[in-house]
Amino acid sequence: MEATADRIAEQKYSFDVVRWFTVMAVVYLVVGAAVGVYIASELAWPFLNFDSPYLSFGRLRPVHTNAVIFAFGGCTLMATAFYTVQRTCGVRLWSDKLAWFTFWGWNAIIVLAVITLPLGLTQSKEYAELEWPIDILIAVVWLAFTINFIMTIANRKTSHIYVSNWFFLGMMVMIVYLHVVNSLSIPVGLFKSYSLFSGVQDAMIQWWWGHNAVGFYLTAGFLGIMYYFVPKQANRPVYSYRLSVIHFWALMFGYVWLGAHHLHYTALPDWTGSLGAAVSLAMIIPSWGGAVNGMMTLSGAWDKLRTDYVLRFLIIALAFYAMSTFEGPVMSLKTVNALSHYTDWTIGHVHSGALGWVAGISIGAIYHLMTRLWHTSMWSESLVNVHFWTATIGTVIYVVAMWVSGIMQGLMWRAYDEYGTLAYTFVESVAAMHPYYAMRAVGGGIFLLGAIIMLFNILMTVRKAANQGTLREARAGVAPAAA
Amino acid sequence: MLDYFQTDWAAMTATDWVGTILTVVIFVLMVVAYFQVFRPKNRDKLESRKHIPFEEDEADIGENDGGK
Repeated sequence: MEATADRIAEQKYSFDVVRWFTVMAVVYLVVGAAVGVYIASELAWPFLNFDSPYLSFGRLRPVHTNAVIFAFGGCTLMATAFYTVQRTCGVRLWSDKLAWFTFWGWNAIIVLAVITLPLGLTQSKEYAELEWPIDILIAVVWLAFTINFIMTIANRKTSHIYVSNWFFLGMMVMIVYLHVVNSLSIPVGLFKSYSLFSGVQDAMIQWWWGHNAVGFYLTAGFLGIMYYFVPKQANRPVYSYRLSVIHFWALMFGYVWLGAHHLHYTALPDWTGSLGAAVSLAMIIPSWGGAVNGMMTLSGAWDKLRTDYVLRFLIIALAFYAMSTFEGPVMSLKTVNALSHYTDWTIGHVHSGALGWVAGISIGAIYHLMTRLWHTSMWSESLVNVHFWTATIGTVIYVVAMWVSGIMQGLMWRAYDEYGTLAYTFVESVAAMHPYYAMRAVGGGIFLLGAIIMLFNILMTVRKAANQGTLREARAGVAPAAA
Repeated sequence: MLDYFQTDWAAMTATDWVGTILTVVIFVLMVVAYFQVFRPKNRDKLESRKHIPFEEDEADIGENDGGK
Protein backbone atom coordinates (compact mmCIF):
# COMPACT_ATOMS: atom_id res chain seq x y z
CA MET A 1 0.00 0.00 0.00
CA GLU A 2 2.78 2.41 0.99
CA ALA A 3 4.71 2.01 -2.28
CA THR A 4 1.55 2.62 -4.29
CA ALA A 5 0.72 5.70 -2.23
CA ASP A 6 4.26 7.00 -2.77
CA ARG A 7 3.93 6.57 -6.53
CA ILE A 8 0.61 8.37 -6.56
CA ALA A 9 2.13 11.09 -4.40
CA GLU A 10 4.88 11.50 -7.00
CA GLN A 11 2.25 12.59 -9.50
CA LYS A 12 0.46 14.80 -7.08
CA TYR A 13 3.18 16.66 -5.22
CA SER A 14 6.33 18.64 -5.86
CA PHE A 15 9.18 16.35 -4.81
CA ASP A 16 12.09 17.40 -7.07
CA VAL A 17 13.14 20.21 -4.77
CA VAL A 18 12.81 17.85 -1.78
CA ARG A 19 15.15 15.38 -3.49
CA TRP A 20 17.78 18.07 -4.05
CA PHE A 21 17.57 19.33 -0.49
CA THR A 22 17.86 15.73 0.76
CA VAL A 23 21.03 14.94 -1.15
CA MET A 24 22.62 18.30 -0.36
CA ALA A 25 21.88 17.79 3.34
CA VAL A 26 24.04 14.65 3.31
CA VAL A 27 26.80 16.38 1.34
CA TYR A 28 26.87 19.15 3.94
CA LEU A 29 26.82 16.63 6.78
CA VAL A 30 30.07 15.20 5.43
CA VAL A 31 31.61 18.64 4.82
CA GLY A 32 30.55 20.03 8.20
CA ALA A 33 31.68 16.95 10.13
CA ALA A 34 35.00 16.89 8.21
CA VAL A 35 35.75 20.50 9.16
CA GLY A 36 34.71 19.65 12.73
CA VAL A 37 37.13 16.74 12.90
CA TYR A 38 39.87 18.89 11.44
CA ILE A 39 39.50 21.69 13.99
CA ALA A 40 39.14 19.14 16.81
CA SER A 41 42.46 17.69 15.60
CA GLU A 42 43.97 21.18 15.59
CA LEU A 43 43.22 21.46 19.30
CA ALA A 44 44.90 18.12 19.94
CA TRP A 45 47.80 18.65 17.51
CA PRO A 46 48.23 22.39 16.95
CA PHE A 47 50.77 21.98 14.11
CA LEU A 48 47.73 21.33 11.90
CA ASN A 49 47.23 25.10 11.81
CA PHE A 50 50.20 25.16 9.41
CA ASP A 51 50.63 28.78 10.51
CA SER A 52 47.92 29.79 8.06
CA PRO A 53 45.28 32.25 9.25
CA TYR A 54 42.78 30.65 6.86
CA LEU A 55 43.18 27.29 8.60
CA SER A 56 43.23 28.62 12.15
CA PHE A 57 40.71 27.28 14.66
CA GLY A 58 39.12 30.73 15.10
CA ARG A 59 38.22 30.99 11.42
CA LEU A 60 37.34 27.38 10.72
CA ARG A 61 35.17 26.91 13.81
CA PRO A 62 32.34 29.11 12.42
CA VAL A 63 32.71 27.29 9.09
CA HIS A 64 32.03 24.06 11.00
CA THR A 65 29.08 25.43 12.98
CA ASN A 66 27.52 27.13 9.96
CA ALA A 67 28.00 24.01 7.83
CA VAL A 68 26.40 21.62 10.28
CA ILE A 69 23.66 23.91 11.64
CA PHE A 70 22.61 25.92 8.63
CA ALA A 71 23.83 23.86 5.69
CA PHE A 72 23.12 20.31 6.90
CA GLY A 73 20.38 21.24 9.39
CA GLY A 74 18.81 23.82 7.08
CA CYS A 75 18.68 21.53 4.04
CA THR A 76 17.24 18.75 6.21
CA LEU A 77 14.56 21.05 7.61
CA MET A 78 13.65 22.39 4.19
CA ALA A 79 13.49 18.91 2.64
CA THR A 80 11.35 17.49 5.44
CA ALA A 81 9.13 20.57 5.84
CA PHE A 82 8.35 20.70 2.11
CA TYR A 83 7.73 16.94 2.08
CA THR A 84 5.54 16.64 5.17
CA VAL A 85 3.47 19.75 4.54
CA GLN A 86 2.41 18.36 1.16
CA ARG A 87 1.69 14.88 2.45
CA THR A 88 -0.20 15.95 5.57
CA CYS A 89 -2.15 18.74 3.88
CA GLY A 90 -2.92 16.74 0.73
CA VAL A 91 -1.88 19.55 -1.61
CA ARG A 92 1.07 20.43 -3.80
CA LEU A 93 3.48 23.17 -2.69
CA TRP A 94 1.96 26.61 -3.18
CA SER A 95 4.82 27.71 -5.44
CA ASP A 96 7.46 25.52 -7.10
CA LYS A 97 9.35 28.63 -8.18
CA LEU A 98 9.57 29.90 -4.62
CA ALA A 99 10.73 26.46 -3.49
CA TRP A 100 13.53 26.47 -6.07
CA PHE A 101 14.41 30.05 -5.09
CA THR A 102 14.69 28.77 -1.50
CA PHE A 103 16.97 25.93 -2.63
CA TRP A 104 19.35 28.05 -4.71
CA GLY A 105 19.24 30.97 -2.29
CA TRP A 106 20.07 28.78 0.72
CA ASN A 107 22.92 27.10 -1.12
CA ALA A 108 24.26 30.48 -2.27
CA ILE A 109 24.30 31.57 1.39
CA ILE A 110 26.27 28.45 2.30
CA VAL A 111 28.83 29.11 -0.46
CA LEU A 112 29.17 32.73 0.69
CA ALA A 113 29.73 31.51 4.26
CA VAL A 114 32.45 29.10 3.15
CA ILE A 115 34.21 31.95 1.31
CA THR A 116 33.85 34.79 3.83
CA LEU A 117 34.43 33.02 7.14
CA PRO A 118 37.94 31.69 6.42
CA LEU A 119 38.80 35.20 5.18
CA GLY A 120 37.94 36.47 8.65
CA LEU A 121 34.88 38.43 7.53
CA THR A 122 32.64 38.04 10.56
CA GLN A 123 30.38 39.93 12.94
CA SER A 124 31.83 37.81 15.80
CA LYS A 125 28.34 36.89 17.02
CA GLU A 126 28.13 33.20 17.79
CA TYR A 127 25.94 31.25 15.33
CA ALA A 128 25.30 34.58 13.56
CA GLU A 129 28.78 35.33 12.24
CA LEU A 130 27.89 36.19 8.65
CA GLU A 131 28.20 39.82 7.58
CA TRP A 132 25.21 42.05 6.93
CA PRO A 133 24.69 41.52 3.15
CA ILE A 134 24.48 37.75 3.76
CA ASP A 135 22.18 38.35 6.74
CA ILE A 136 19.76 40.19 4.45
CA LEU A 137 19.91 37.30 1.97
CA ILE A 138 19.19 34.83 4.80
CA ALA A 139 16.11 36.86 5.82
CA VAL A 140 14.82 36.96 2.21
CA VAL A 141 15.34 33.23 1.57
CA TRP A 142 13.93 32.22 4.95
CA LEU A 143 10.84 34.37 4.32
CA ALA A 144 10.39 32.71 0.91
CA PHE A 145 10.55 29.31 2.66
CA THR A 146 8.08 30.45 5.32
CA ILE A 147 5.58 32.05 2.93
CA ASN A 148 5.55 28.96 0.70
CA PHE A 149 4.95 26.75 3.74
CA ILE A 150 2.17 28.96 5.12
CA MET A 151 0.42 29.25 1.77
CA THR A 152 0.58 25.48 1.28
CA ILE A 153 -1.10 25.04 4.66
CA ALA A 154 -3.67 27.69 3.71
CA ASN A 155 -4.54 25.65 0.60
CA ARG A 156 -4.80 22.35 2.50
CA LYS A 157 -7.54 19.81 1.91
CA THR A 158 -7.61 18.57 5.50
CA SER A 159 -9.54 20.41 8.17
CA HIS A 160 -6.87 20.06 10.84
CA ILE A 161 -3.21 21.09 10.63
CA TYR A 162 -1.13 18.10 11.72
CA VAL A 163 1.16 18.78 14.69
CA SER A 164 4.44 18.41 12.74
CA ASN A 165 3.42 21.46 10.72
CA TRP A 166 2.83 23.44 13.91
CA PHE A 167 6.40 22.76 14.99
CA PHE A 168 7.79 23.71 11.57
CA LEU A 169 5.70 26.86 11.52
CA GLY A 170 6.68 27.83 15.07
CA MET A 171 10.32 27.51 14.05
CA MET A 172 9.86 29.57 10.89
CA VAL A 173 8.06 32.46 12.57
CA MET A 174 10.45 32.63 15.51
CA ILE A 175 13.59 32.40 13.37
CA VAL A 176 12.44 35.38 11.27
CA TYR A 177 11.97 37.40 14.45
CA LEU A 178 15.18 36.23 16.13
CA HIS A 179 17.40 36.53 13.06
CA VAL A 180 16.22 40.02 12.15
CA VAL A 181 16.54 41.45 15.66
CA ASN A 182 19.88 39.81 16.44
CA SER A 183 21.34 40.88 13.08
CA LEU A 184 20.42 44.56 13.41
CA SER A 185 23.68 46.35 12.76
CA ILE A 186 25.22 49.47 11.29
CA PRO A 187 27.21 48.71 8.12
CA VAL A 188 30.45 50.64 7.72
CA GLY A 189 31.44 48.87 4.51
CA LEU A 190 30.39 45.97 2.34
CA PHE A 191 32.11 43.47 4.63
CA LYS A 192 32.04 45.24 7.99
CA SER A 193 29.28 46.21 10.38
CA TYR A 194 28.77 46.86 14.06
CA SER A 195 25.90 45.54 16.15
CA LEU A 196 23.14 48.00 16.97
CA PHE A 197 23.39 46.83 20.56
CA SER A 198 26.30 47.25 22.93
CA GLY A 199 27.59 45.94 26.22
CA VAL A 200 25.33 43.70 28.26
CA GLN A 201 22.34 44.39 25.98
CA ASP A 202 24.37 43.02 23.07
CA ALA A 203 25.23 39.94 25.12
CA MET A 204 21.59 39.44 26.10
CA ILE A 205 20.35 39.80 22.50
CA GLN A 206 23.13 37.46 21.33
CA TRP A 207 22.12 34.73 23.75
CA TRP A 208 18.41 35.37 23.27
CA TRP A 209 19.19 34.48 19.65
CA GLY A 210 21.79 31.82 20.51
CA HIS A 211 19.63 29.73 22.79
CA ASN A 212 16.55 30.17 20.65
CA ALA A 213 18.50 29.01 17.61
CA VAL A 214 18.82 25.86 19.72
CA GLY A 215 15.22 26.00 20.93
CA PHE A 216 13.36 26.83 17.77
CA TYR A 217 15.69 25.84 14.95
CA LEU A 218 17.47 22.79 16.37
CA THR A 219 14.61 21.63 18.60
CA ALA A 220 11.19 22.75 17.34
CA GLY A 221 12.07 22.19 13.69
CA PHE A 222 13.49 18.74 14.32
CA LEU A 223 10.53 17.87 16.54
CA GLY A 224 8.42 18.61 13.47
CA ILE A 225 10.50 15.93 11.77
CA MET A 226 10.05 13.59 14.73
CA TYR A 227 6.25 13.91 14.85
CA TYR A 228 5.91 12.91 11.21
CA PHE A 229 8.75 10.47 10.57
CA VAL A 230 8.66 8.39 13.78
CA PRO A 231 4.99 7.41 13.30
CA LYS A 232 5.49 6.85 9.57
CA GLN A 233 8.59 4.71 9.97
CA ALA A 234 7.03 2.76 12.85
CA ASN A 235 3.77 2.56 10.89
CA ARG A 236 1.87 3.52 14.03
CA PRO A 237 0.24 6.82 15.00
CA VAL A 238 1.96 8.96 17.58
CA TYR A 239 1.36 7.73 21.15
CA SER A 240 -0.62 10.76 22.34
CA TYR A 241 -1.77 13.60 20.16
CA ARG A 242 -2.84 15.58 23.20
CA LEU A 243 0.66 15.37 24.62
CA SER A 244 2.05 16.62 21.31
CA VAL A 245 -0.19 19.70 21.49
CA ILE A 246 0.95 20.47 25.04
CA HIS A 247 4.55 19.78 23.99
CA PHE A 248 4.20 22.37 21.23
CA TRP A 249 2.67 25.18 23.29
CA ALA A 250 4.91 24.62 26.30
CA LEU A 251 7.95 24.73 24.04
CA MET A 252 6.81 27.91 22.31
CA PHE A 253 6.03 29.58 25.62
CA GLY A 254 9.06 28.40 27.54
CA TYR A 255 12.05 28.49 25.23
CA VAL A 256 12.19 32.26 24.71
CA TRP A 257 13.11 32.77 28.37
CA LEU A 258 16.20 30.58 28.50
CA GLY A 259 18.92 32.65 26.82
CA ALA A 260 19.84 34.51 30.00
CA HIS A 261 21.16 31.29 31.59
CA HIS A 262 24.20 31.67 29.29
CA LEU A 263 25.15 34.84 31.13
CA HIS A 264 25.42 33.84 34.79
CA TYR A 265 28.06 35.76 36.75
CA THR A 266 28.25 38.57 34.20
CA ALA A 267 27.05 42.18 34.11
CA LEU A 268 23.54 40.91 33.36
CA PRO A 269 21.22 41.47 36.35
CA ASP A 270 21.28 38.43 38.61
CA TRP A 271 17.49 37.91 38.50
CA THR A 272 17.53 37.61 34.71
CA GLY A 273 19.90 34.66 34.75
CA SER A 274 18.01 33.06 37.65
CA LEU A 275 14.73 33.41 35.76
CA GLY A 276 16.36 31.80 32.71
CA ALA A 277 17.56 28.92 34.90
CA ALA A 278 14.15 28.48 36.58
CA VAL A 279 12.33 28.29 33.25
CA SER A 280 15.09 25.97 31.94
CA LEU A 281 14.27 23.54 34.75
CA ALA A 282 10.56 23.80 34.00
CA MET A 283 11.31 22.94 30.37
CA ILE A 284 12.37 19.43 31.37
CA ILE A 285 8.67 18.56 31.69
CA PRO A 286 7.52 19.30 28.10
CA SER A 287 10.81 18.08 26.64
CA TRP A 288 10.57 14.73 28.37
CA GLY A 289 6.86 14.61 27.58
CA GLY A 290 7.76 14.92 23.90
CA ALA A 291 10.56 12.37 24.10
CA VAL A 292 8.32 9.87 25.86
CA ASN A 293 5.58 10.57 23.33
CA GLY A 294 7.94 9.74 20.49
CA MET A 295 9.35 6.62 22.12
CA MET A 296 5.99 5.30 23.29
CA THR A 297 4.82 5.44 19.68
CA LEU A 298 6.66 2.12 19.49
CA SER A 299 4.63 0.75 22.41
CA GLY A 300 3.71 -2.83 21.58
CA ALA A 301 6.08 -2.89 18.62
CA TRP A 302 9.51 -2.62 20.16
CA ASP A 303 10.60 -5.65 18.16
CA LYS A 304 10.76 -3.39 15.10
CA LEU A 305 14.01 -2.01 16.50
CA ARG A 306 15.67 -5.38 15.88
CA THR A 307 15.21 -5.14 12.15
CA ASP A 308 14.46 -1.54 11.24
CA TYR A 309 17.75 0.34 11.18
CA VAL A 310 16.11 3.64 10.25
CA LEU A 311 13.81 3.41 13.25
CA ARG A 312 16.87 2.83 15.41
CA PHE A 313 18.24 6.20 14.34
CA LEU A 314 14.95 7.91 15.16
CA ILE A 315 14.58 6.30 18.58
CA ILE A 316 18.19 6.71 19.69
CA ALA A 317 17.83 10.37 18.65
CA LEU A 318 14.91 10.68 21.07
CA ALA A 319 17.03 9.15 23.83
CA PHE A 320 19.70 11.79 23.20
CA TYR A 321 16.97 14.47 23.10
CA ALA A 322 15.77 13.38 26.54
CA MET A 323 19.33 13.24 27.85
CA SER A 324 20.43 16.64 26.58
CA THR A 325 17.19 18.36 27.62
CA PHE A 326 17.87 17.13 31.15
CA GLU A 327 21.57 18.01 31.11
CA GLY A 328 20.96 21.55 29.78
CA PRO A 329 18.70 22.67 32.64
CA VAL A 330 21.07 21.12 35.18
CA MET A 331 23.96 23.07 33.65
CA SER A 332 21.90 26.26 33.77
CA LEU A 333 21.71 26.11 37.59
CA LYS A 334 24.06 28.70 38.99
CA THR A 335 25.95 26.29 41.23
CA VAL A 336 26.54 23.81 38.41
CA ASN A 337 27.21 26.62 35.96
CA ALA A 338 29.96 27.94 38.23
CA LEU A 339 31.81 24.73 37.44
CA SER A 340 30.70 24.04 33.89
CA HIS A 341 30.76 27.45 32.23
CA TYR A 342 33.63 28.13 29.82
CA THR A 343 34.68 24.47 30.04
CA ASP A 344 34.41 21.73 27.42
CA TRP A 345 31.54 20.18 29.35
CA THR A 346 29.43 22.69 27.37
CA ILE A 347 30.90 21.33 24.14
CA GLY A 348 30.01 17.80 25.27
CA HIS A 349 26.44 18.91 26.04
CA VAL A 350 26.05 20.67 22.71
CA HIS A 351 27.29 17.63 20.79
CA SER A 352 25.08 15.17 22.64
CA GLY A 353 22.26 17.32 21.32
CA ALA A 354 23.78 18.01 17.90
CA LEU A 355 25.16 14.57 17.03
CA GLY A 356 22.76 12.46 19.06
CA TRP A 357 19.48 14.32 18.63
CA VAL A 358 19.64 16.63 15.60
CA ALA A 359 21.85 14.50 13.38
CA GLY A 360 20.18 11.26 14.56
CA ILE A 361 16.62 12.37 13.79
CA SER A 362 17.77 13.96 10.51
CA ILE A 363 19.62 10.86 9.36
CA GLY A 364 16.61 8.67 10.18
CA ALA A 365 14.29 11.02 8.27
CA ILE A 366 16.66 11.19 5.29
CA TYR A 367 16.88 7.38 5.02
CA HIS A 368 13.07 7.28 5.22
CA LEU A 369 12.82 9.88 2.47
CA MET A 370 15.34 8.11 0.23
CA THR A 371 13.20 5.04 -0.31
CA ARG A 372 10.01 7.07 -0.81
CA LEU A 373 11.44 9.72 -3.08
CA TRP A 374 13.44 7.39 -5.32
CA HIS A 375 10.87 4.56 -5.10
CA THR A 376 13.42 1.87 -4.38
CA SER A 377 15.09 0.25 -1.38
CA MET A 378 18.43 1.49 -0.07
CA TRP A 379 21.42 0.29 -2.08
CA SER A 380 22.72 -1.40 1.08
CA GLU A 381 20.68 -2.01 4.25
CA SER A 382 23.84 -3.32 5.92
CA LEU A 383 25.58 0.00 5.40
CA VAL A 384 22.67 1.75 7.13
CA ASN A 385 23.32 -0.52 10.09
CA VAL A 386 27.08 0.18 9.96
CA HIS A 387 26.25 3.87 9.85
CA PHE A 388 24.00 3.53 12.89
CA TRP A 389 26.77 2.00 14.96
CA THR A 390 29.52 4.37 13.78
CA ALA A 391 27.28 7.38 14.47
CA THR A 392 26.29 6.12 17.92
CA ILE A 393 29.76 4.97 19.02
CA GLY A 394 31.39 8.10 17.60
CA THR A 395 28.92 10.34 19.44
CA VAL A 396 29.37 8.50 22.74
CA ILE A 397 33.18 8.67 22.54
CA TYR A 398 33.02 12.36 21.67
CA VAL A 399 30.57 13.25 24.41
CA VAL A 400 32.24 11.19 27.15
CA ALA A 401 35.63 12.75 26.33
CA MET A 402 34.19 16.23 26.67
CA TRP A 403 32.19 15.46 29.82
CA VAL A 404 35.19 14.03 31.65
CA SER A 405 37.65 16.65 30.44
CA GLY A 406 35.21 19.52 30.96
CA ILE A 407 34.58 18.64 34.59
CA MET A 408 38.32 18.11 35.11
CA GLN A 409 39.00 21.50 33.52
CA GLY A 410 36.46 23.24 35.78
CA LEU A 411 37.83 21.56 38.89
CA MET A 412 41.42 22.48 37.97
CA TRP A 413 40.53 26.11 37.36
CA ARG A 414 38.95 26.57 40.75
CA ALA A 415 41.29 24.44 42.89
CA TYR A 416 43.08 26.37 45.60
CA ASP A 417 46.01 25.35 47.77
CA GLU A 418 46.27 25.89 51.52
CA TYR A 419 47.57 29.45 50.95
CA GLY A 420 44.56 30.44 48.88
CA THR A 421 46.42 30.59 45.59
CA LEU A 422 45.41 28.69 42.46
CA ALA A 423 46.60 25.09 42.52
CA TYR A 424 47.10 24.91 38.74
CA THR A 425 48.15 27.33 36.05
CA PHE A 426 45.91 27.64 33.02
CA VAL A 427 48.62 26.01 30.89
CA GLU A 428 48.57 22.96 33.15
CA SER A 429 44.83 22.58 32.52
CA VAL A 430 45.46 22.85 28.76
CA ALA A 431 48.14 20.14 28.93
CA ALA A 432 45.80 17.90 30.94
CA MET A 433 43.20 18.24 28.19
CA HIS A 434 45.41 16.75 25.46
CA PRO A 435 44.41 13.06 25.73
CA TYR A 436 40.73 14.05 25.81
CA TYR A 437 41.11 16.31 22.79
CA ALA A 438 42.69 13.38 20.95
CA MET A 439 39.83 11.12 22.11
CA ARG A 440 37.29 13.70 20.91
CA ALA A 441 38.97 13.85 17.48
CA VAL A 442 38.77 10.03 17.28
CA GLY A 443 35.06 10.06 18.25
CA GLY A 444 34.35 12.77 15.70
CA GLY A 445 36.36 10.82 13.12
CA ILE A 446 34.20 7.74 13.68
CA PHE A 447 31.06 9.85 13.30
CA LEU A 448 32.50 11.36 10.10
CA LEU A 449 33.22 7.87 8.76
CA GLY A 450 29.54 7.04 9.26
CA ALA A 451 28.51 10.21 7.40
CA ILE A 452 30.77 9.28 4.47
CA ILE A 453 29.24 5.79 4.41
CA MET A 454 25.79 7.41 4.35
CA LEU A 455 26.70 9.70 1.45
CA PHE A 456 28.09 6.74 -0.50
CA ASN A 457 25.00 4.65 0.21
CA ILE A 458 22.69 7.49 -0.78
CA LEU A 459 24.50 8.24 -4.03
CA MET A 460 24.45 4.54 -4.88
CA THR A 461 20.71 4.45 -4.13
CA VAL A 462 20.13 7.39 -6.48
CA ARG A 463 22.16 5.55 -9.13
CA LYS A 464 20.23 2.35 -8.49
CA ALA A 465 16.94 4.19 -8.95
CA ALA A 466 18.25 5.69 -12.20
CA ASN A 467 19.38 2.27 -13.48
CA GLN A 468 16.11 0.59 -12.51
CA GLY A 469 14.08 3.52 -13.76
CA THR A 470 11.92 3.54 -10.63
CA LEU A 471 11.77 7.32 -10.36
CA ARG A 472 11.12 7.69 -14.08
CA GLU A 473 8.26 5.20 -13.85
CA ALA A 474 6.77 6.89 -10.80
CA ARG A 475 6.91 10.26 -12.54
CA ALA A 476 5.25 8.79 -15.60
CA GLY A 477 2.60 7.15 -13.45
CA VAL A 478 3.60 3.61 -14.43
CA ALA A 479 2.56 0.97 -11.88
CA PRO A 480 5.46 -0.96 -10.32
CA ALA A 481 6.09 -4.28 -12.07
CA ALA A 482 6.36 -6.38 -8.87
CA ALA A 483 3.31 -4.77 -7.26
CA MET B 1 10.85 36.47 50.93
CA LEU B 2 8.59 39.54 50.57
CA ASP B 3 11.65 41.62 49.77
CA TYR B 4 12.44 39.29 46.93
CA PHE B 5 9.10 39.98 45.27
CA GLN B 6 9.12 43.71 46.06
CA THR B 7 8.56 45.75 42.90
CA ASP B 8 8.99 49.47 42.31
CA TRP B 9 5.86 49.96 40.24
CA ALA B 10 6.56 53.64 39.74
CA ALA B 11 9.80 52.79 37.99
CA MET B 12 8.11 50.54 35.40
CA THR B 13 8.71 51.80 31.85
CA ALA B 14 6.32 51.33 28.93
CA THR B 15 8.51 48.45 27.73
CA ASP B 16 8.28 46.84 31.17
CA TRP B 17 4.48 47.06 31.07
CA VAL B 18 4.22 45.67 27.54
CA GLY B 19 6.47 42.76 28.52
CA THR B 20 4.61 42.09 31.75
CA ILE B 21 1.16 42.19 30.15
CA LEU B 22 2.24 39.98 27.24
CA THR B 23 3.78 37.47 29.63
CA VAL B 24 0.70 37.28 31.83
CA VAL B 25 -1.63 36.99 28.81
CA ILE B 26 0.47 34.20 27.27
CA PHE B 27 0.64 32.43 30.62
CA VAL B 28 -3.16 32.55 30.91
CA LEU B 29 -3.44 31.25 27.33
CA MET B 30 -1.12 28.39 28.29
CA VAL B 31 -3.42 27.49 31.19
CA VAL B 32 -6.40 27.59 28.81
CA ALA B 33 -4.51 25.34 26.37
CA TYR B 34 -3.77 22.80 29.12
CA PHE B 35 -7.42 22.87 30.22
CA GLN B 36 -8.71 22.34 26.70
CA VAL B 37 -6.25 19.60 25.85
CA PHE B 38 -6.83 17.57 28.99
CA ARG B 39 -10.61 18.08 29.11
CA PRO B 40 -12.09 14.56 28.75
CA LYS B 41 -14.70 15.90 26.33
CA ASN B 42 -11.97 16.83 23.82
CA ARG B 43 -10.02 13.60 24.09
CA ASP B 44 -11.46 11.65 21.17
CA LYS B 45 -11.53 14.61 18.84
CA LEU B 46 -7.88 15.47 19.50
CA GLU B 47 -6.63 11.89 19.46
CA SER B 48 -8.32 11.25 16.12
CA ARG B 49 -5.84 13.75 14.57
CA LYS B 50 -2.96 11.38 15.12
CA HIS B 51 -4.01 9.35 12.08
CA ILE B 52 -3.55 12.21 9.60
CA PRO B 53 -0.15 10.99 8.26
CA PHE B 54 -1.79 7.65 7.42
CA GLU B 55 -5.11 8.95 6.11
CA GLU B 56 -3.31 10.66 3.27
CA ASP B 57 -1.91 7.36 1.98
CA GLU B 58 -5.31 5.69 2.20
CA ALA B 59 -6.97 8.62 0.48
CA ASP B 60 -4.50 8.45 -2.40
CA ILE B 61 -5.21 4.82 -3.16
CA GLY B 62 -8.94 5.20 -2.55
CA GLU B 63 -9.29 3.11 0.59
CA ASN B 64 -11.42 5.64 2.42
CA ASP B 65 -13.84 8.44 1.71
CA GLY B 66 -11.08 10.98 1.64
CA GLY B 67 -10.03 9.62 -1.73
CA LYS B 68 -13.36 10.36 -3.40
